Amino acid sequence: MPSSLSTLKALGAAMAVLFFVAQPAAAQNSFRPTAEAVQEDKLLNALKEGDKISGRISIPDANAANLIQPAGRDWRDFHRSKLPIIGGVAILGMVVLLAVFFLVRGRIRLDHGFSGTKILRFANFERFTHWLTASCFIVLALSGLNISFGRILVLPLFGAEAFSTMSTYAKYAHDYLAFPFMFGLVAMFLIWIKDNIPNRIDLQWIKQGGGILANGQHPPAKRFNAGQKGIFWIVIIGGSLMSLSGWFLLFPYLPADVTALQVWTVIHAVIAMLFIAAMLAHIYIGTVGMEGAFEAMGTGEVDLNWAKEHHSLWVEEEKAKAPSGSTPRALPAE
Amino acid sequence: MKVFLAALVFAAIAAVGVAMVLNNIQQPSSVAFTTGGARVGDPGNNLIGPG
Repeated sequence: MPSSLSTLKALGAAMAVLFFVAQPAAAQNSFRPTAEAVQEDKLLNALKEGDKISGRISIPDANAANLIQPAGRDWRDFHRSKLPIIGGVAILGMVVLLAVFFLVRGRIRLDHGFSGTKILRFANFERFTHWLTASCFIVLALSGLNISFGRILVLPLFGAEAFSTMSTYAKYAHDYLAFPFMFGLVAMFLIWIKDNIPNRIDLQWIKQGGGILANGQHPPAKRFNAGQKGIFWIVIIGGSLMSLSGWFLLFPYLPADVTALQVWTVIHAVIAMLFIAAMLAHIYIGTVGMEGAFEAMGTGEVDLNWAKEHHSLWVEEEKAKAPSGSTPRALPAE
Repeated sequence: MKVFLAALVFAAIAAVGVAMVLNNIQQPSSVAFTTGGARVGDPGNNLIGPG
């Protein structure tokens, strides 16, 4: 009995020693989730570009299986920080540039005034195509800018409810007016491509700055000068890129996955900013920037002196086509 | 002016026409991306869509 008692005491002492010795080690091995769990940033950064953390689902939307797509953070960062800079520099920069140009150069006026004789510059279908594409473009541009910057610029002005209603209808307009815009783009390409092939005359026009930098300079030009050809190709190439990228946004996930979709939204947004800036320059020179220019698309007829100053070779071509002694398709002043 | 107005009218008609065609050939998201068990009773006024 004494033996067993001493054995029991010894065992108790050993357990006590073990308890005090083992306690710090046990504390060190306790579960500490914030210290030992996989860090989210480390996990996401380990994924390669385009990788996703996906699961398995049973609903028909396969894309819902993607739980986390790290590239989405870069995409969100682009829209929040880089796109406003690109848009601001391109659009506001163009507005400032045009304002400065107007203040320095003033309106480009006809050197010899209006002749009173008009010449048909654009047929009805050409003007229809221009205004179809232009009117769609204006709605697409404004509604697109609202998508990108409306939350920052428009929401504080009108409040959440009005902004929500307006944005909903603007989004519908953006989606569906894209189709007549694409139709107009194709029609424009077909009817004006033959007059917009670059040639050596354009180099001369460019060397002289288009004659718009100083009074009295009028480099020769055919139906479209180099500046107008530039606008044509900006519209065709820019419009095609906008249409292609827009098509992928209209029908998301049909052509590719969410990563490709994000790439196309970036392309859509950047091209849109540059496109809008270029069209501001086009609108300026076609309205307040140049005397007599708006009539070309307004009524289809321009003054003969305007045509001779800005498209001298085109006037000669038209004269050559006309019966002797008359100006082709010339119309008396109204 | 007539040409300009004609262009506006054409754009509006084309946009409405495309909207009608797309609405006819596409399913609403409440149908296309859910199974029968997950569908809500009245998608227009119940969780999905305007309401």
